Amino acid sequence: MINVLATIKIIVKTLIFPGAFFAMAAGLLLAGIDRKVLARMQKRIGPPVMQPTYDFFKLMGKETIVPHAANRRVYMAAPVVGFVSLAVMMLFIPIGGWCAFTGDADLIVILYLLTIPAVALIVGGSASGSPFAGIGISREMVTMMSYELPLIIVFLAVAKKVGGDQLFFGFRAITNWQIANGPMIAQLAMIPAALAMLLIIPAEVGTQPFDVAEAETEICEGPLIEYSGAPLGLFKLNTAVKMLVMTSLFTALFLGGITSGIHTGITLWGIAIVDHILRALIHVAISAVITVVSMTTIHAATARLKIEHLFKFYWTAVTGLALISLILVWIGF
Amino acid sequence: MNYSHFPAIAVMGLFLGAFLVEIFGSKSKIVRNIIVFVFTTCAAALMLYLVKPVMLDGEIISYWMGNWEPVDGYAIGIGYEIDQLSMFFAILVVLTIWLSAVYSFRYMERDRHLGHYYTLFLMLSGAVLGLVCTGDVFNLFVMVEIMTFAAVALTAFRNKKGSNLEAAFKYLIVGSVGSGFTLTGITLLYMQCHTLNMAQLSSMLSGNLTPVTVLALALMFTGFGVKSFIVPFHAPAADAYMSAPTSVSMVFSGMVNKAGVYGMIRLVYIIFRAMDIEAIQILLVLLGVITMFIGVTMALAQHDLKRLLAFHSISQIGYVITAIGLCTALGVTGGLFHALNHTLFKGLLFLCAGAVLYAAGTTDLDRLGGLSKKMPKTCICFLIGAFSISGLPPFNGFASKWMIYQATYEKAVTTGNLFYAFATVTAVVVSVMTLASFIKVTQAVFFGQCPAQLQQTREVPFSMRLPMWIMALLCVASGVLYGDLYRFILAPASNAALNVTGYIDAMLGSGTAASAGIADIEVAKVSFSYWNPTAWLILFAIILIAVCWVVVFGEKTRGAVLQSESSQDVDGKYATFFSGEKSMHSHVGGSDLFWGFKKNFSGYFRVMQGIHSGNVNDYALMAVAAAAIFIVFMFVVLL
Amino acid sequence: MFKKIIAASTAKSPWIYHINTGSCNGCDIELVAVLTPRYDAERFGFKLAGTPRHADIVVVSGPITSQSKDRLIRTLEQVPEPKVVVSIGSCPKSGNVFKGSYSVEAPLDKYCKVDVSIAGCTPKPEAIIEGLYKAAQILKEKREAMNK
Repeated sequence: MINVLATIKIIVKTLIFPGAFFAMAAGLLLAGIDRKVLARMQKRIGPPVMQPTYDFFKLMGKETIVPHAANRRVYMAAPVVGFVSLAVMMLFIPIGGWCAFTGDADLIVILYLLTIPAVALIVGGSASGSPFAGIGISREMVTMMSYELPLIIVFLAVAKKVGGDQLFFGFRAITNWQIANGPMIAQLAMIPAALAMLLIIPAEVGTQPFDVAEAETEICEGPLIEYSGAPLGLFKLNTAVKMLVMTSLFTALFLGGITSGIHTGITLWGIAIVDHILRALIHVAISAVITVVSMTTIHAATARLKIEHLFKFYWTAVTGLALISLILVWIGF
Repeated sequence: MNYSHFPAIAVMGLFLGAFLVEIFGSKSKIVRNIIVFVFTTCAAALMLYLVKPVMLDGEIISYWMGNWEPVDGYAIGIGYEIDQLSMFFAILVVLTIWLSAVYSFRYMERDRHLGHYYTLFLMLSGAVLGLVCTGDVFNLFVMVEIMTFAAVALTAFRNKKGSNLEAAFKYLIVGSVGSGFTLTGITLLYMQCHTLNMAQLSSMLSGNLTPVTVLALALMFTGFGVKSFIVPFHAPAADAYMSAPTSVSMVFSGMVNKAGVYGMIRLVYIIFRAMDIEAIQILLVLLGVITMFIGVTMALAQHDLKRLLAFHSISQIGYVITAIGLCTALGVTGGLFHALNHTLFKGLLFLCAGAVLYAAGTTDLDRLGGLSKKMPKTCICFLIGAFSISGLPPFNGFASKWMIYQATYEKAVTTGNLFYAFATVTAVVVSVMTLASFIKVTQAVFFGQCPAQLQQTREVPFSMRLPMWIMALLCVASGVLYGDLYRFILAPASNAALNVTGYIDAMLGSGTAASAGIADIEVAKVSFSYWNPTAWLILFAIILIAVCWVVVFGEKTRGAVLQSESSQDVDGKYATFFSGEKSMHSHVGGSDLFWGFKKNFSGYFRVMQGIHSGNVNDYALMAVAAAAIFIVFMFVVLL
Repeated sequence: MFKKIIAASTAKSPWIYHINTGSCNGCDIELVAVLTPRYDAERFGFKLAGTPRHADIVVVSGPITSQSKDRLIRTLEQVPEPKVVVSIGSCPKSGNVFKGSYSVEAPLDKYCKVDVSIAGCTPKPEAIIEGLYKAAQILKEKREAMNK
């Protein structure tokens, strides 16, 4: 009988919180906040915060046209695989110091799980058979190569800071360290790494000026060119969920343990539901702030880069920031 | 049953098969195929029978040819010794030869003189199997020679094309340079120790390095480096893999370069026991890192599928060498696991490339396209292989690369040496570049638009697809069940590499190692708490089912999915969007991709182009120069 | 319930694809002006899409030259249902001053059903916004009709 309860718990965790449903809702909310704040920065009224949700539901109601040149199976499966892997990722990233499934993923696993949605976009775009998509996937792949180098260095710096002369890539160790020693971002040596991470987020999500892969004005939205209806909606949803995943990752790495002090003591069926809800709300609020800082502001201030400049930017400036942190941590700061 | 004869029978059986094919099989196709099938299956069965005693029960099989047992503690006969490390590589070898043989039956049917092909094939197989089974350095050299020459002949098998002969010639020259170094090294060892038995050499050489033995180490190190095609000996490999028939390319990357890696491990871990020295570790890791980076960047610049795969073989061997160079339990385990995985996914990829060549007649990425609709099963297999080699979870490449990252960074934080952290970073970046290059292949070969001359392409026959499915299945299985794989195969193999006492004692009687002053090393158990593919797959499945449930039951609510039924329907609603123009054949080929990357690396690529001149003199010079550097390095650090 | 949500969302999220069939660019500039901070059509959810596959509303400007006719028809076909066609300016409605020219094939309603026509040479941004808003309502009706 214990197994039944445990199974229900797992299913609730995976499907509702912090899994699929929460990822979807919070991701769409973040995307809406991003668009609203961007509009305000440009002195516009802007769309309602619910706009990405409307877009998503509208696309669900549209026809899906599978082009003649496309491989139908891959074309239809790619967005689903991307969404599912993003939703699974939310189960591994701690929310307010609480992690749905601790011990099943560490930073390296997350680094690789993060590539799955990007690969899904690439393979799906490639399967659509359009030459515009061919250019788009090429750019998407180069973008991925650009940010992966600084990202791993940031991860290594965090791991070294937490572990000292032992190996710690696990999220629990990172959170516990931050509960004991204050947020990672307060460490002088980690500030460059945090800056690098803030610059990596927009490329990972694919917002301007790093949206070269989906440049709608020059290559007609690149990999998404032939997509319509529900699969397109899923891809748009993936972008939104990626915002949540990336900002959550930032929170876990640099602002971990901030909400761990919340203990109201109210429990329901033995679960501290009120604590969870409060932490989740604070978590989403923090994510929204990071979204505005790292994505919206840069978006409002810049125009789209060329792909070769993007690559150069990440392999010099951002990698340099991350390296400074790694070296500082290594020599004991 | 007395199974200590089995390895010798398996090796001799393969050589016997080679002669039988030449005598009886040159006329009749059926006789030939039966002989090949029977002997490869026998070899596989005999070796796999030994998995239980060797891997699970921890027994080490020693076998003296002709019962020439040691006299007064000096080994005089040729001994076969199967410890867990040999067994591990023997599994790779028999698996590869069996699958390659099955694949060859249909794949090679359009060639002539197949009797010679199978003779050489079985010679090659027997040589590599003998190489991993033998416990005698001179026998090892003989097997290396048979392997090299069979491989050279197979490279030139399709000798109508001049480039194939050229590739074979390059392989011959550089391979001979390597063999020469190996032989010289072995001669020096024999001069010093008066024995050729590896176990005995190990017990005599440990902690006993003289200038002569250090020279021998450097020369043999170079020799096995050439055989495993690490940078700077990698240049002939690309040509050879490209020119050989694909069933042989698979054998090359699945076991011939693994034979070099095996020789390297035997040499530095067992015979010389030199891995405690930090400089040797750094040398191996540095070589590995350079190899993986140069391999993958060169692969990104290729536009021939087989050549691209060849450079990836080089790059993946770089991972193996890096991990092995760490000399930690996690590192060696990760390295061996990656060697196993490389055999599986690279074999699969080569088989898919062979299927493309068989069906479409070319492997030029700029002339292919849109084959996923013509060859859907090959496409799925290729995607599995591509995701495995790029290390996407939950495939096997991820599990082994994950171990390698952990191992390198663990080494970095425990030794405080930032160099190992850069090895981790390079490994991750190389992994992304690997992904990029396979994205390029999938885009250029399987997706996009199908050129007019490939419209008649058909899926390949079942006997070619069977090895592909087996490989694909193994790729997924070894990625998901890697915990069991570790327990049953990898842990014994890595223990055997790190701990030499069992090897010496099994051959020369127990107590020999202790009397030579070699103590048992306690090998730490590796724990993998953080990557649990089964849990991940369960969570993935739950959400996937939920999403599919919504999709299926929302059918009336959501918009319809429309697809054109008629193959004539190329204009209008289902046409590809060309800004309103009538859709035409326009395919983004492999060479056109990754502009942003290539532009920034143009200087690097120019240098690389200069180094890969295609001139065999340069390659031989590079090999000799590298040997000189290794000799100087080892003299400086070891003496 | 989901049908209602989808229909309501359809009205709130119309994505525009703009086809220029030989227009003098006057209408095109005004259409872009609609998205600027002063008029900000994005507050109704309007967004310019890069490809017809993403579009809900197809905005056609220009007098449909013979060169652009086939391209127009092909592009209109590639838009997934439900879709709304809006003509902007006088040219697609009547041919405007180019009427009678050997190279002009206006009006647009010879080739497809035009749901909303925004007249004027060029129409004011306010008019365009109103026209597009009407188009969004028609889009919602079409989506509701699909439910039945």
